Amino acid sequence: MSTDTAIAGPADQTDANRSRRIFLGIIIVATLAFPLLQVFFGGFSYWLHMALFLYMNIAIASSWNIIGGFAGYISLGHNVFFAIGGYSAAILFAYFGVSPFIAFPLCGLISMGFGFIIGMMTLRTRGPTFIISTIALVLLAKILLDNWDYIGGSNGISLPLLDMPVEYVKLPFYYAMLAIAAGSVFLGYSVRRWKFGLGLRAISQDETKAEVAGIPTRFYKTLAFALSGLFIGMAGALWGYYLTYLSPAIFLTILVGAKFVLMTILGGRGTISGPIVGAIIFISANEFFVAQFGATELNIVATGVLLLLVLMFFPEGIVGTLKRNGKLPAILDWD
Amino acid sequence: MPHLVVKDVVAGYGSGPDILTGLSLDVEEGKSYCIVGPNGAGKSTLLKAICGLVNIRNGTIDFEGETLLGLRADQVLQRGICFVPQDRSLFPDMTVRENLRMGGYILKDRNEVERRIDEVFEMFPILKERASQHAKTMSGGQQQQLLLGRALVLRPKVVMLDEPSLGLAPKVSKQIFDSMNQLKDAGITIIVVEQNARMGLGYCDWGCVLDLGKLVFEGASRTVLDDPRMAELYLGTRRTGSEK
Amino acid sequence: MTQAIQILIIGLTLGGVFALMASGLTLIFGVMGIVNLAHAAFMVAAAFISFFAYKGLGLDPIASIVLTMPVMFVVGLVVYRLFFARSIDDPKKRSVLVLVTFAMALVIEGTLGFFFSNIYRSTNPPYAYDAFLMGPFYLPKGQFYATLMSALILGALWAMLRFTRLGYAIRATTHNRTAAEVVGVNVDRVSMFVFGIGMALAGASGSMISFLFSFYPGKHWEWVAILLSLVVLGGMGSLLGALIGALSLSVISAFVNSAYGPTWSPVTFYLALFAILLIRPQGLLGKKPEL
Repeated sequence: MSTDTAIAGPADQTDANRSRRIFLGIIIVATLAFPLLQVFFGGFSYWLHMALFLYMNIAIASSWNIIGGFAGYISLGHNVFFAIGGYSAAILFAYFGVSPFIAFPLCGLISMGFGFIIGMMTLRTRGPTFIISTIALVLLAKILLDNWDYIGGSNGISLPLLDMPVEYVKLPFYYAMLAIAAGSVFLGYSVRRWKFGLGLRAISQDETKAEVAGIPTRFYKTLAFALSGLFIGMAGALWGYYLTYLSPAIFLTILVGAKFVLMTILGGRGTISGPIVGAIIFISANEFFVAQFGATELNIVATGVLLLLVLMFFPEGIVGTLKRNGKLPAILDWD
Repeated sequence: MPHLVVKDVVAGYGSGPDILTGLSLDVEEGKSYCIVGPNGAGKSTLLKAICGLVNIRNGTIDFEGETLLGLRADQVLQRGICFVPQDRSLFPDMTVRENLRMGGYILKDRNEVERRIDEVFEMFPILKERASQHAKTMSGGQQQQLLLGRALVLRPKVVMLDEPSLGLAPKVSKQIFDSMNQLKDAGITIIVVEQNARMGLGYCDWGCVLDLGKLVFEGASRTVLDDPRMAELYLGTRRTGSEK
Repeated sequence: MTQAIQILIIGLTLGGVFALMASGLTLIFGVMGIVNLAHAAFMVAAAFISFFAYKGLGLDPIASIVLTMPVMFVVGLVVYRLFFARSIDDPKKRSVLVLVTFAMALVIEGTLGFFFSNIYRSTNPPYAYDAFLMGPFYLPKGQFYATLMSALILGALWAMLRFTRLGYAIRATTHNRTAAEVVGVNVDRVSMFVFGIGMALAGASGSMISFLFSFYPGKHWEWVAILLSLVVLGGMGSLLGALIGALSLSVISAFVNSAYGPTWSPVTFYLALFAILLIRPQGLLGKKPEL
């Protein structure tokens, strides 16, 4: 990509920059203003729900991308962070009365802290063993939460509704999820530009060489793993409150983690806009499948088939493939 | 009369760039060839292309009048071309004897394989001593001998070696080159890639200089060694210091 | 003491079956470098074959390996050709192959769930509820037969690897893929056969679990995590390691089971996995530190 811009020359580059900036401006205004439709006209509740669900998934995919895309370590267990965020918010709310809207950054940090500890254990190895450990992590977390009576065990825990007029109840969630998504994308964008991000990409190319080149690979990997838990934890904190009910079965099935992976790979892992594109397409497709088939079994099949197709035919994802062919629109090219 | 003819070969790995960019080389029977050149010149790739481990994108490779293109590694081996890669590619947890048996893997007759293993033992007595030891317990030089021995089980017509002296003490590499010359005396064609160009050329009849995937110079080893241009560019009078 | 020995008996007899389940996984990893996350999903699919063969034809679940093994062998060959043959030598594609197996596991789980629904099933041949009594000890017949069968199959596998040409080729490819190619082993064909054999072993395991445990389509994640834990403990790619891992973890989990209840016995495996990662990431018999 750097060579492309070099060939394109400075004039094209400023053009691309301007078009990106305009595009970004439109997006910001549109997303901020969208809830006004609900305020003034009403009847947009479903679309608000879809939008905030989408923002949450953008946050998740962009976060997963830090470890799974930049560093190349595929984690199938990132829903554990989602659960940690959700449950820590639920505990703070149900037992200490702290609203998740205040607590959610803290929940993100808690989840990141767990990420650091887990990463220190599981990232001692490379390749397949790491993936295995992430699966075991989900199953272990599920058993632990299923049997922890303080938070309701496998029956789950219910939270009171947000005390607001029902037509406006989605608005705070909407803006919070929007902020989380923006934060997550911005984090990914920054990591990509930091020396840290360069180190991660070196690790994904050839870890031995990266180590020889003086990159503190263990620390970088662990930090990437922990950072990728930050915004997923925040998203989990608000999602549990939004649902008003948390149970291990909602957060900790393999399918949930699989969808995180699928979204990011579908869009293009290792890119900035890939996770966003992936989340948009996946959420739309998922909505269609659920509306068409409903049944969870077919949902599992569809997720699996989609993942297979992407892996077999577009392993670089939509953004990655377009970019390789030089067809990526400038507005999507943030790398 | 050349029996291995490489003509205009273009080759590379996977979907990566071309490593060989139109390389031609004639190899005559019973002679020894030393391939030299800077890192990334395509020396190892040439050997791999000949024995079917790299996809050839363009050009031809003929051996004894028949093409080698499209053949799998085991089919090239059937024709009598053996390859000894540079990464000490033994089977570390198999014994010396089992490693030699693997050398005769494509032969169906097991008794014949055992007979040939005895021949190899005559040539490399140390292997006989260590026959039931695991390959990984042997020293670098012994492992290299085992690799040579393993190639010999097939009674090949051509043996190709990729950097046999890598990581060996000078005295030990000398032994390896001596055994290599023994093979040549038995009528086997030798193609060897050698980083230590002066040493390699010193042992071989013919020198071939590769750069950027092409043959840029060839001639009797002495000519290559004596050519001041070659010496400066490729034999390490000036480059050695800056090479990574 | 009596109780401890009793638990040991239970643990060891289950361990034999775990070893059978893990053998295919570790064999495939050794030769192809792929962790087959769909291994247990294929096992569950085979368990369904045994289940319907038992219900429909009255075929004994142990005997039904004559059905499950060949069927799964062929499935393995086809799956290899479709998904792995072209990607295995391309390092870029190779890194996503584990995700391909993950996706396959989802597809199998969802398909089985759609057709047969997620209810607990189990074949119940008479010996599944019977036991040999020896003094103060008892030995469940089902577990005993299953372990005996597993030992037979594993013995045959061992002999095949030790004495046949294919066995030599498989071992050579496991030790050093390039070297195997250099001496003329057709590693593509070997990989294909190994995938088939691995799947056949999954098939046999499926027949065993059909009467040892109750199963449902979503159950395979738990099993695959258990199998992977003991494979990692033994050292990935090592058959002997898998056997040691299976027997030791199975015994430990049997003790955990009797002390804390069945909920926590799978936890033994997961905790063991994390413990190994901390202490000796390459496993007991593993050599390559980068694993």
